[in-house]
Amino acid sequence: MNSVIFLTIVLLALSSYFFGRKKAILIQSNKRLTALPKFYGYYLAIWCGAPAFLLYALWSIFEPSIVRFFILSDYSSQGLLEGELNLFYEKVKSLSRNQYSGELTAELQRSAEKYLNFRDITKWSKVVIVLSLLIASTGYAYTKISNNTKTREPVEIFLKGVFFLSSLAAILTTIGIIFSLLFQTIEFFQVIPLFDFVFGMHWYPAKAFVRDASEALDPSMYSDTFGAVPIFAGTFFIALIAMCVAIPIGLLSGIYMAEYASKRLRQYAKPVIEILAGIPTVVYGFFAALTVGPFLKDLGLSLGLEVSAESALAAGGVMGIMIIPFISSLSDDVITSVPQNLRDGSYAMGATKSETIKRVIIPAALPGIVGSILLGVSRAIGETMIVVMASGLAANLTLNPLESTSTITAQIVVILIGDQQFGDPKTQAAFALGLSLFIVTLVLNIVALSVVKKYREKYE
Amino acid sequence: MNKIEAKNVDVYYGAKQALFDINMDIEANKVTALIGPSGCGKSTFLRCLNRMNDVIDICKVSGVVKINDYDINQKDTDVVRLREKVGMIFQKPNPFPKTIYENISYGPEIHGIAQSKSEMDNIVEESLRKAALWEEVKDRIHEPGTGLSGGQQQRLCIARTISIKPEVILMDEPCSALDPIATAQIEELIDELRKEHTIIIVTHSMSQAARVSQNTGFFHLGKLIEVGSTDKIFKNPTQQQTQDYITGRFG
Repeated sequence: MNSVIFLTIVLLALSSYFFGRKKAILIQSNKRLTALPKFYGYYLAIWCGAPAFLLYALWSIFEPSIVRFFILSDYSSQGLLEGELNLFYEKVKSLSRNQYSGELTAELQRSAEKYLNFRDITKWSKVVIVLSLLIASTGYAYTKISNNTKTREPVEIFLKGVFFLSSLAAILTTIGIIFSLLFQTIEFFQVIPLFDFVFGMHWYPAKAFVRDASEALDPSMYSDTFGAVPIFAGTFFIALIAMCVAIPIGLLSGIYMAEYASKRLRQYAKPVIEILAGIPTVVYGFFAALTVGPFLKDLGLSLGLEVSAESALAAGGVMGIMIIPFISSLSDDVITSVPQNLRDGSYAMGATKSETIKRVIIPAALPGIVGSILLGVSRAIGETMIVVMASGLAANLTLNPLESTSTITAQIVVILIGDQQFGDPKTQAAFALGLSLFIVTLVLNIVALSVVKKYREKYE
Repeated sequence: MNKIEAKNVDVYYGAKQALFDINMDIEANKVTALIGPSGCGKSTFLRCLNRMNDVIDICKVSGVVKINDYDINQKDTDVVRLREKVGMIFQKPNPFPKTIYENISYGPEIHGIAQSKSEMDNIVEESLRKAALWEEVKDRIHEPGTGLSGGQQQRLCIARTISIKPEVILMDEPCSALDPIATAQIEELIDELRKEHTIIIVTHSMSQAARVSQNTGFFHLGKLIEVGSTDKIFKNPTQQQTQDYITGRFG
């Protein structure tokens, strides 16, 4: 039903575009128009579609809660808890769909009938009201067109509004996510002291088993459970290993692509490097866990070293491979955008190609290169799949790349997989970790972007 | 004595021929101006004299260009040595994104000219003095060269070029991005530099050619139409095309 209404509105709006344009062309034969005929079409289409769609959307949003209110209005007088009301309402709904298999009471049956009635009424009144609004607003706009009103300005204002609402949606979502992280984190820190979280040396969230909701919360049972130092250290350690792989290879291949590769080679090689960026991280993950990890373990054995099958080296190394295309492609771009006249100036001084690259081009492109590296680092810190699959889940505090360690992202996965209980410190710990991760990557991105911006200003 | 002798020089950009059989002699310690309408090949010819056309993949040069009687178009010519002897100033000032000092010390460093820090300091000061820039920047030679004004940047580029004491300096419309005052300073400088260097300047401005040069070559559609003393070219050209261009009938 809903999709039929929606399609009807869209079709009517589309046809009113042609209708409005045709009308304008007719008017045009008598007198000068204030805008091109297509603006009359847009004008009519907007007046046809926008109010009806808005009403339809609002109705769809508020309908369920209004229906619920009416159904429960005579039931709630019995002074029940919110949870019990919810349960009752769910029973009513499933009964109305003939999917209820529990105990039938007279009250339940009565409410279900009432519910069905209500749904019928709202369904048809929605169609009638939305369509009559559509007709009314279209008619209003049509008379306006006949009076040769201004159409260009309202259309422009409407479009501006659409753009504004789109950006508003993006911004509000961001703010909403940040606040949800923030509130959960604040609750977490009411149980676990901030100091213990930031400076604690032991991370065993499994110790904080799901507690009975009726039991009082005893903070002392969480001491030595949520110390984030090992996983922060693990995160930065694995990111460091990744960057040790990604920076040299990425940067040097970027320089090769920008300065040495012939046009033909570049044309084919660059997309191949960029394919690396398109491989899903889960594929990298099992590549690290099933190929690189065992290989390193065997290699270690033959050298007499003890290597864990899930080592930081395997995860970090594969993560580095994943980041190569980011650094390679971005630094290629910034090097290519170094003005040719700087290269000419250096060659004209008798500098060789490598001298020019080392002494003129890299310094000129350095801010952009640093920016690309920082973006790579924030990718490394935020990467999840590879570490979950390849670096182990036990939060060891170690600086040995051959042992397993764990990261912020992997621990969030560990905490939130399976059964969770909201309001439990174990669950909230994931939010605290998420917020820390968010802050780190945010700072890195801000620094990276400002560095890149500074670079841009230099050559404009 | 002729510093540079070009014989039968042809240049192609891909399939398109840009220069046709250029023969031109350039005298030592004089300023030679290359004039002509846009796209006539004068800059292309200039870039033949220090093999800067090598930088452009699709560009092919044939013919003989002799500098000090040595053909620079040979396969085994050391381009690094050549460009040490033949410096170049570009249309748009292109100081490196380094300090003023490092801009000047770049050449001496890559060619291993200075043996010590104090020697390098001397080269930097001397070059800046010769480029008439020392007085303006002596208190901030460790600040970025990109922070200077356009005219100062161009003089910095000249100082950078003369730091390695080239015998020839090529200038590709060095004043086209500058205001009249900066232009006048550069022109004065060119006259000064000719004592120690042979200068070839490409210019769009005929009055500039008349002011700074002793010899002038007129290019049109990839051909060298006429070459001779600036006086003669401007006052008494032998070719009708030259006459038309000088008097502003085309170009």
